[in-house]
Amino acid sequence: MDPQSDCTLVTAVSCHDIFDLQTGQSDSSPLAKGTAFAFIKAVQSVNERLVKLSEKQTLLFEVILLGKDCEEQAKSKIFDSAKYYDLEIGKFCFCSKEKFERTLQENHVKLFLSSDRDDVHSALKAGVPAALLCQQADQQVQNQLKVLFSGDLIGLTEDSTEYLKDLGFNDVQIHNFKAAKGRIQEFAMLIGEMRRRFGCEDSPLHTILMTVWGSRDICATALKTLRAWGLDVDEAFCLAGAPCTPILTVLQPHILWDDGLHNLKET
Amino acid sequence: MSEIKNNEASPAPAGGASGAEKDWAEAKAAFDNLKSKKPRPPKPHTAVTIAVSSRTLFNMVEERKVWEQEGLERYVSYQQEHEEQPLKPGAAFPFVKALMTVNTRLRELYPEGEELFDIVLMTNNHAQVGVRLINSINHYDLLIERFCMTGGKSPIGYLKAYMTNLYLSKDSDKVQEAIEAGIAAATMFTPDMETELSETQLRVAFDGDAVLFSDESEIIVKQHGLDTFFEHERKNENKPLAQGPLKCFLEALGKLQKKFYAKNERLNCPIRTYLVTARSAASSGARVLKTLRSWGLEIDEALFLAGAPKGPLLQKIRPHIFFDDQMFHIEGAKELGTIAAHVPYGIGQKYHKGKLIEQLAKKS
Repeated sequence: MDPQSDCTLVTAVSCHDIFDLQTGQSDSSPLAKGTAFAFIKAVQSVNERLVKLSEKQTLLFEVILLGKDCEEQAKSKIFDSAKYYDLEIGKFCFCSKEKFERTLQENHVKLFLSSDRDDVHSALKAGVPAALLCQQADQQVQNQLKVLFSGDLIGLTEDSTEYLKDLGFNDVQIHNFKAAKGRIQEFAMLIGEMRRRFGCEDSPLHTILMTVWGSRDICATALKTLRAWGLDVDEAFCLAGAPCTPILTVLQPHILWDDGLHNLKET
Repeated sequence: MSEIKNNEASPAPAGGASGAEKDWAEAKAAFDNLKSKKPRPPKPHTAVTIAVSSRTLFNMVEERKVWEQEGLERYVSYQQEHEEQPLKPGAAFPFVKALMTVNTRLRELYPEGEELFDIVLMTNNHAQVGVRLINSINHYDLLIERFCMTGGKSPIGYLKAYMTNLYLSKDSDKVQEAIEAGIAAATMFTPDMETELSETQLRVAFDGDAVLFSDESEIIVKQHGLDTFFEHERKNENKPLAQGPLKCFLEALGKLQKKFYAKNERLNCPIRTYLVTARSAASSGARVLKTLRSWGLEIDEALFLAGAPKGPLLQKIRPHIFFDDQMFHIEGAKELGTIAAHVPYGIGQKYHKGKLIEQLAKKS
């Protein structure tokens, strides 16, 4: 059993994702909802269900709001809007762009979510587990928190690094890729434990494994690895090179663990 | 019936075109560099995609009983406990093996070709059952690299996303849903006895009305009788029938056949198609053949039974799959060892052995 303090799944979300800070607002009205809204609401319903199962529940999500270079005026609007929408936000952290990664580390963030790929990438580089926050097509529909893991990343083993070399990755990139896999583990284990609190059906938490270019054996390895980490995923997809956008459109995940490879290739 | 794919590249989702091309290019590079000589799966929009459910690919009768009698959780653990035990082949297994044979021949003739069969495992099963399914696929060395385990969700959205040309399942509700969504689909039945099938040639048999063609003529038979039907067909001999749910699949098969003809392999073509219809050649056959011609489609053998039972003839043909819209014919085929697949489309669904089902219910 994990020590009590380690059980909270501290998730940091950027205020730019929670609220739409671009469009002009009159002083009285709250900020418009952003990409992360559906995610926070889904997380809240997971927490509600967990608490229903056991009042002394310690394995819960804690959402903290991260504001990078926010003006004072914006800060108070953010506080008020969060209250208005009844968002359960554990902490409001405002910091400068430079201190951004340090703030994540200091708050023992178990997962940083952003719709900005660059932000996700910098967090990963700084050693913080980070994933992409997905735009939901329909903000209303979701009452289930959907987390999508990359089979390409998790199915990676010592043997398959040769395969990466063949693709043209250098040792540094391969090292980063392996490190990214390590960072998913803690988060996956916590999600796995949470998921086990619910049965096969009627779970507020839904986990998906997607292998985009790996073979079915990589997918099988990923399934077994996740199982060893305590996470039994609900859905699994193996695309073998088929474009993933049509499938993602059907799935509508909130959290997408990118396979890191795409990020790395761009550097 | 809506066509899921054209010959030319179908339009990619808005903004997704370059992303999809990039995804594909990376996968191509990855597979081309793989040390193993395993063949690469084809591009979805040029391939003929066949989605099979786990229960049609493998025999899961025992496992299904566990689910029905002991519930979902026990079923999933049962599958996990037996993970290392490969499942036995199911009704669609010979069909899948035959598809693989065609692919091998196509790759020999067209090494860089993207027009191939692509077999996708599309199952409602929970992902944990996936390990046993993958182990079984490995055991038989099947060419299935793409799969969807939807953990209880309906597969229809995913069928569309994978640009499926044909969906085979044991669940008639899902098949019905697929047909309503414009996807060629059929419910598979396991034959009562085993038949030896060709290992070098894929043989596909189709019923005509309400399978390849619409049920317009069948409605006339059911509502006005045979004589009216014959007259109607003669009068409309030169007017093509409307399409049925499996027309596009026949078209896809024809496209692949032409690739063999182009390389002078007509006599040795590993795909053979059959029309097995209750129509009679003299009185109502011409319209059928003319319709096919108007569609630019060829069928290798057209067999007009004039109402005789289909079972014995199918026994001679030995198709890897036979599509029919009427359960009466499916049962007849099954009894004599043919792998039959029911297409739940058209007026035939309201009748059983020629009598309206509602009336039968009232009587009993």
